[in-house]
Amino acid sequence: MTDVRADPREPVPAGARARRGRSFETWSWFFMRLSGLALVFLALLHFAITHILNDVVDTDYDFVARRWDNPLWRVFDWSLLALALLHGLNGMRWITEDYLRRPRTRAAVQAVLYVLSSALFAWGTFTILAF
Amino acid sequence: MTAGSRTYRGKSGQWAFLGHRVSGILVFLFLLLHIVDVSLVRWPELYDDVHAVYGNVVLRVFEVGLLLALVFHALNGLRIVAVDFFPGAVANERRLLTGVVALTLVVGIPGGLVIMWPFLEGLT
Repeated sequence: MTDVRADPREPVPAGARARRGRSFETWSWFFMRLSGLALVFLALLHFAITHILNDVVDTDYDFVARRWDNPLWRVFDWSLLALALLHGLNGMRWITEDYLRRPRTRAAVQAVLYVLSSALFAWGTFTILAF
Repeated sequence: MTAGSRTYRGKSGQWAFLGHRVSGILVFLFLLLHIVDVSLVRWPELYDDVHAVYGNVVLRVFEVGLLLALVFHALNGLRIVAVDFFPGAVANERRLLTGVVALTLVVGIPGGLVIMWPFLEGLT
């Protein structure tokens, strides 16, 4: 790796090399690459199974019950839920930081994103575990 | 957004950047909705009733849109990873983007036809 920036959209700051690997944004950048690679597999396989190999109207209650009978599919679905939400949330956070200039507006929008994502993460986890 | 400060001045790269953001937002919004609709599985009758709506023609068109957004975002994401980590990819980034768009259509059009098939079948 030769890129020392926390975010490829930012200019390379002086002395960045020394701080490399320590900032939150560096980890955030790295997480997007790693989770993205995992999601290519998880999300596309999920879509292929539930929208292409099976017609959407056939993915009814019985379909879900049969699939979740196997704990490995629950692990698969929960991994997809967790990674997709976190990847999406971090992407939305980058977008708010790029386009929302007023600190109060940005903080308010980010607060909505964090609350909504946390609530849906808890709700989705409960759905998979309690079924 | 003021011109120049927050936009790429690149040509194809600027469109790739915009396409990645727009497709990302669309997939994220669908994910939020999808977590809620799957959670209805606790009430089997309600889940089946709500789920039957997804078979509707209008929602099938949305489904095809989701497929295109998802495939483009996934392939363009791979292009970004390649450009970030492999110097050889930087030199060929425009060719890579052409490949991303072509492959999105190669996967998206047949996939879209499969999704629309129950409706298309009814037309013939």
